[in-house]
Amino acid sequence: MSRDHVITLVQMVNQIATNLGAGRDATQAAQAVCTHLETFWARPMKQRLIACLGEDDHDLSPLAREAVGRLAERQTHRAS
Amino acid sequence: MIQHFDPRQHDRDLGTPAPAADAAPVSVEIDGVAIRVPEGTSVLRAAALADINIPKLCATDSLEAFGSCRLCAVQVEGRRGTPAACTTPVAEGMKVTTQNERLARLRRNVMELYISDHPLDCLTCPANGDCELQDMAGAVGLREVRYGFEGENHLAAETDHSNPYFSFDPSKCIVCSRCVRACEEVQGTFALTIDGRGFDSKVAAGQAEAFMDSECVSCGACVQACPTSTLMEKSVIDAGQPEHSVITTCAYCGVGCSFEAQMKGDQLVRMVPYKGGDANHGHSCVKGRFAFGYATHPDRITTPMIRESIDQPWRQVGWEEAIAFAAERLTAIQAEHGRESIGGITSSRCTNEETYLVQKLIRAAFGNNNTDTCARVCHSPTGYGLKTTLGESAGTQTFDSVMQADAIIVIGANPTDAHPVFGSLMRKRLRQGASLIVADPRRIDLLKTPHLEDAQHLPLRPGTNVALVNALAHVVVTEGLEDHDFIASRCDNEAYRAWRDFIAEERHAPEATEAITGVSAEAVRHAARTYATAGNGAIYYGLGVTEHSQGSTMVMGIANLALATGNIGREGVGVNPLRGQNNVQGSCDMGSFPHELPGYQHVADATARGRFEAAWGVELDDEPGLRIPNMFDAAIEGSFKALYVQGEDIAQSDPDTQHVEAALSSLDCLIVQDIFLNETAKYAHVLLPGSSFLEKDGTFTNAERRINRVRKVMPPLAGKADWEVTIELARALGYPMEYTHPSEIMDEIARLTPSFAGVSYARLEERGSLQWPCNAEHPLGTPTMHEVDFPIGKGRFAITEYVATEERASRRFPLLLTTGRILSQYNVGAQTRRTDNQVWHDEDVLELHPSDAEVRGIRDGDWLGITSRAGQTVLRARLSERMQPGVVYTTFHHPGSGANVITTDSSDWATNCPEYKVTAVQVEKVSRPSEWQRRFDEVDRVQREYLATARDTTAPHLEATP
Repeated sequence: MSRDHVITLVQMVNQIATNLGAGRDATQAAQAVCTHLETFWARPMKQRLIACLGEDDHDLSPLAREAVGRLAERQTHRAS
Repeated sequence: MIQHFDPRQHDRDLGTPAPAADAAPVSVEIDGVAIRVPEGTSVLRAAALADINIPKLCATDSLEAFGSCRLCAVQVEGRRGTPAACTTPVAEGMKVTTQNERLARLRRNVMELYISDHPLDCLTCPANGDCELQDMAGAVGLREVRYGFEGENHLAAETDHSNPYFSFDPSKCIVCSRCVRACEEVQGTFALTIDGRGFDSKVAAGQAEAFMDSECVSCGACVQACPTSTLMEKSVIDAGQPEHSVITTCAYCGVGCSFEAQMKGDQLVRMVPYKGGDANHGHSCVKGRFAFGYATHPDRITTPMIRESIDQPWRQVGWEEAIAFAAERLTAIQAEHGRESIGGITSSRCTNEETYLVQKLIRAAFGNNNTDTCARVCHSPTGYGLKTTLGESAGTQTFDSVMQADAIIVIGANPTDAHPVFGSLMRKRLRQGASLIVADPRRIDLLKTPHLEDAQHLPLRPGTNVALVNALAHVVVTEGLEDHDFIASRCDNEAYRAWRDFIAEERHAPEATEAITGVSAEAVRHAARTYATAGNGAIYYGLGVTEHSQGSTMVMGIANLALATGNIGREGVGVNPLRGQNNVQGSCDMGSFPHELPGYQHVADATARGRFEAAWGVELDDEPGLRIPNMFDAAIEGSFKALYVQGEDIAQSDPDTQHVEAALSSLDCLIVQDIFLNETAKYAHVLLPGSSFLEKDGTFTNAERRINRVRKVMPPLAGKADWEVTIELARALGYPMEYTHPSEIMDEIARLTPSFAGVSYARLEERGSLQWPCNAEHPLGTPTMHEVDFPIGKGRFAITEYVATEERASRRFPLLLTTGRILSQYNVGAQTRRTDNQVWHDEDVLELHPSDAEVRGIRDGDWLGITSRAGQTVLRARLSERMQPGVVYTTFHHPGSGANVITTDSSDWATNCPEYKVTAVQVEKVSRPSEWQRRFDEVDRVQREYLATARDTTAPHLEATP
């Protein structure tokens, strides 16, 4: 997957985090972002985003990182 | 006794409009026939309901009674004289005589005067066979004209041929004022008037100008109302009277007007708006009424074509070969690159049945959920926002509901241009005194409605919608204007509490948001009070709401406002998205989105998915697929290799054209199904001929959730309707679909989609149209949604934080570009550019405020280079006071304009709906087209040559292949 594509995905999840972060505490917000990704994002996009967690040079916002972490856990759980 | 309360008599002209449906019944006797009609009914209408047909000329039931021709004179027992039946309301116990010698003589005298100043060329007159004057001369038994024909007359008056679709021949005019009244009462434009007095009075357009030079918008209402040949369609002048007609649904905007397609064999002579149409009640606009010539334009693609690569000429082939070629490619690509490497785009111009089949093909035969539709780029935020707050992805009202509204807010919509027939209805209500609030960066034409009582314009800066709607809600909450009973009984309390705390914060006060929106605090407070206290408050919105990086937030903000004021769940209120294309509501309903099966049932919902798996005989993917912009990104990246596009021109309509072109060029197989060689087809390997709405059966669903029938009036030019092509492709991919008629597809939809359970072609025939949800609970459909509860139980307030777009004016790009539409052209223009509508708008221009022009030394008509971070294009300048300084505007109806070369990849956070409405740009005078435009012209020339070559070298054996 190209570098540009990953940058786009990170920008998208950061934007979602900014918009869903308002009016929620940290846990609720992370859950809301995670649910949004599960509900609307295609499998390869989610997988690529999860892969970002293991790479340290991405600009994931703290909330986005938290949400993607949850998503990774749920995907692992789902696969098992 | 005959009783008439709610007659659905659409084929007859009853002379005057129906009174209020709830009026008390009144008993009268007409020519000895006893009849009960609602109070307020005219004698003329009451008689017509009893099949007693009083002669008339100036009366028609689409217009208020006028009483000028005197032909409908009657006698009423106990009253003096001979009152006009059209202007005389019925009264209890009234006894009316419509025929006797005295009345006959009176009517003959009236007709004699009319005919003494009328050309006697009936045999060669275009209205022959459809002329009310001729009919009335016959009805009254006119046998001689004692005055002769030599006196002073109007017979030498010259015909005005200026309008491309109809002519105005004043020599045949009887000055009945029906055209003038239609222009006022039905259309609301007030372009026509009666000029002069007495014998000199004549119908005049504008200031006695040619029709084309006047304010006339060519809606056709005057032509429809004219009882003679004075205002006549040129198509009828050329072809003569039609011999049969079929009722069908317009394929232009989301209003979904019903029309009678009037035919001579399989030739369409004219489209006449159908009085029985529940969306339009007999009105039309210049597109639906007149711009149908594209359907038989020589540019139509009528033979399938294939090619190995896009730098090769097309090769015309038979259907079988084209379908086999496409299927082989798709199969090979999936074998090499995986199941998820291909996808498709459904069409918002095709029927529900066709859209359903394409998403079924993708989910069942492609085996993935990579399906999307053009709603992605228009109303996907409506889907997200309304589903989150109200529980259903659709508008809450009927169009007619606006007639009960007391305050109307229009946000980011331009109904008089983009939804003209509804715009006229809204204007009618505004003339009756409803208040209007327009939130728009531009001064739209609705604000110029004649006889508008009270209008407020909130000229906000592009991109600041959410700040504005939050400020409106803040006023409602802090000034005690909430509907506490509604909130307590209908809304989720916890969500409401959280929202109320949020919205009451001082940062949302109009005084605080003024600096963001540019709208004065006072104006915002006034607007909020008007909406909240008027009685019935209705909100209408368009793409100026959705096509923003906060589009979904704004839709939720609108829903919050309606919930807080209790403006949901009855006539006259509601949240009303004005959907763009004819079937964009339907394409969303039919499961076009990658995450939702038909009826907005999520792919992860095991119960719903299970129903589809059982019916379709395959296992379905339980995770969402790629959306259109994700497909483009994946194509450029190399993981997405093939796309099937039905009736959608993504190369012109989607933002950041150069990015789209790069994506399409990366595909190994692009299959385009369209009626023309559109911009997308220039990147295609397989071109399958599409069929126009005249060539197939099906249904469209309009912006009020109304399912209307589309009826075939001529055979498909290329031999197959679009749904048949999809079936062929599915079969070639090893997934047979067995349907012999679109009604069978609708039956399957009804079985699998709870909100469509009660829909069938038989029911549609019976009712004319149905508004979903239509099921056991609502067997006749649902005109008004959420009357008792919401599909999610309680209405949910949503937190709507204003997050400014990153696309903002800077030193390098100091202006904000916003885009829109105009009346005469439709969307990418593929249809309207191939009609005479071109005379109104043959190029896209850049509108800018004179002050922005002055500092750049720009004059009206100069060529301007418009540059954004995405690209550059060149358009002609039009100086316009409608713009606010700092904001420029253009349309995207012509492909060479490249409006979308400059729009960016910025998009709605929740749905990826592109931010067409805000692009930071710089504008400067230039002397030649942009680099992109020069390249576009070259690609266009080469691709047209490839098409022409294919057509020249058609192998003879193919001509027999349908």
